[in-house]
Amino acid sequence: MRLIRTRKLPLALAMLLAGVYVLLPIVAATEFSLRQPAKGDHGFDNYAWFMSDPDFGKYLGISFGLAAYSAIILLVVLVPTVVWLNLNGAKFRPFVEFISLMPLVIPVVALAIGAQTALPEFAQTDETVLAYMFAVLALPYAYRTMDTGLRSVPLRTLVEAARGLGAGWIRTILLVIIPVVRGSVLNALFMTLALSLGEFTLTSLLHWDTFTTWVTTMSQSNILGAIALSMFSLGAVFALLLGVGLFVRHPKSNVVSEEE
Amino acid sequence: MQKTSNNPARGGASNWGASMGKALRPVIALTPLLAFMGIFFFSPIAAVIVDSFHDNSGEFSLINYVDVLREPIKTALITSFGLALVSALTASIPGAILAFLIESRGSQRLRQLIASIAGVLANTGGVPLAFMFIAALGAEGAATSFLKALGFDLYSTGFSLYSFWGLVVVYSYFQIPMMVIVFSPAIHGLRREWSEAARTLGATTAQFWTRIGIPLLFPSFFSSFLLLFASAFSAYATARAMTNGTIPLVPLMIGNLLDGNVIFDEVNLAKALAVAMVLVTLAAMVPYLVIQRRAERWQK
Repeated sequence: MRLIRTRKLPLALAMLLAGVYVLLPIVAATEFSLRQPAKGDHGFDNYAWFMSDPDFGKYLGISFGLAAYSAIILLVVLVPTVVWLNLNGAKFRPFVEFISLMPLVIPVVALAIGAQTALPEFAQTDETVLAYMFAVLALPYAYRTMDTGLRSVPLRTLVEAARGLGAGWIRTILLVIIPVVRGSVLNALFMTLALSLGEFTLTSLLHWDTFTTWVTTMSQSNILGAIALSMFSLGAVFALLLGVGLFVRHPKSNVVSEEE
Repeated sequence: MQKTSNNPARGGASNWGASMGKALRPVIALTPLLAFMGIFFFSPIAAVIVDSFHDNSGEFSLINYVDVLREPIKTALITSFGLALVSALTASIPGAILAFLIESRGSQRLRQLIASIAGVLANTGGVPLAFMFIAALGAEGAATSFLKALGFDLYSTGFSLYSFWGLVVVYSYFQIPMMVIVFSPAIHGLRREWSEAARTLGATTAQFWTRIGIPLLFPSFFSSFLLLFASAFSAYATARAMTNGTIPLVPLMIGNLLDGNVIFDEVNLAKALAVAMVLVTLAAMVPYLVIQRRAERWQK
């Protein structure tokens, strides 16, 4: 920011405090997860315990599958709509914005009850239904990210050029538009993945089993093992999200660098 | 649309066809999103609302709403409201200070790093978060033992991680980062020119803040506060992992009604409770979204 640039001391102090506050629980839980009471030392026994469970791979697979599916659903539903909004549909923007923000307004618990009664048959046969619901939950973030990305490129020119050279709509979107805004698309994709991997409320209330509910089940049998499992799942999501944050360019950061 | 249909150079029939095609375009373009949201979002919500107005035999009735205002649900509503309020207050102030320090004094690099970390932390919750705090502040936790070694027994003060205040502490782990995320753009948008202009006109630093800075930032602060309120009010996973029903909270109560821990007949009561919950979050989120939208104008 551009206000007074005086001492950095308060910032350093705040960072120190925040750092301790953030790291303390992580470090403490990691230490717990490495305890081996039988041997009286520290090691990876608790990690070995859950990794040797056949359900570990199974539920990890289910969760990653659902996460990937929900990301695909979201892309298919959202990309054509947002592209159209930015080309010709400007007057529908407030309407689409309203629709896409609704999942932020309604508590997940309330959506879960409704989903229990009002989903169509085809969606209730297996846990695939969760992928659709996760896509709903991720919609507000994904919409904003993609819209910001598309606004910052000369979309009309790109589309006219691609169409003029004979590309169809699908080809234009897949080979021209998505590569140009890949930062935003990746961002939206990873956010959807992370949200899906960590989702618990809907999954548990709709009585499906994924990695997150499996962690909860396991926590009832072996507390240290469950802590190890929790730290593993946190670590996986942290890595995913931090990876996005650090390596994918934020659409917002473009604006910042232009200003400064 | 108007232009093509009024164009005299075109033939009647094809003219009509072209304008029909154009008129249909929004319908075609919006169909995927609308169909998707209709099936997986609006129809479930509509079902909740409709069912909440029916008694267990399927007759129209307001009995569920009468029950919502009775014990034990009344207590749960009050507790949830209080928890959301306290959690939003205790997280929004340190979060705002942190956001201010980072935005005003941090380097571009630090700001990016903090944004990424805050994004991660704002997403933690559920059993993993509960374990982290049990390991740190539980009766056997690292921080608890450390404090004890220093001569301060946290648990002799009556503190418990599984109490109302324990939840406030745990929630702050994702609430403070969320505050940093939503409030930072407002601080970032404060133009240096504004403080320079104020100073040139003879304003002191205090005057700048009381007359310009705080009035400009307050709407954003308040709307961020509302977001934190709604987030704490509807948090389910963390509440469930932490309390196991020891504290009456609305999301947990709905979960219990759904999990069949009570008579199945009460499922419509759960729906009325969900509608009550939606009304509370609507009251917080609608102003949040409106204020954010307006603030975005000058933040750019």
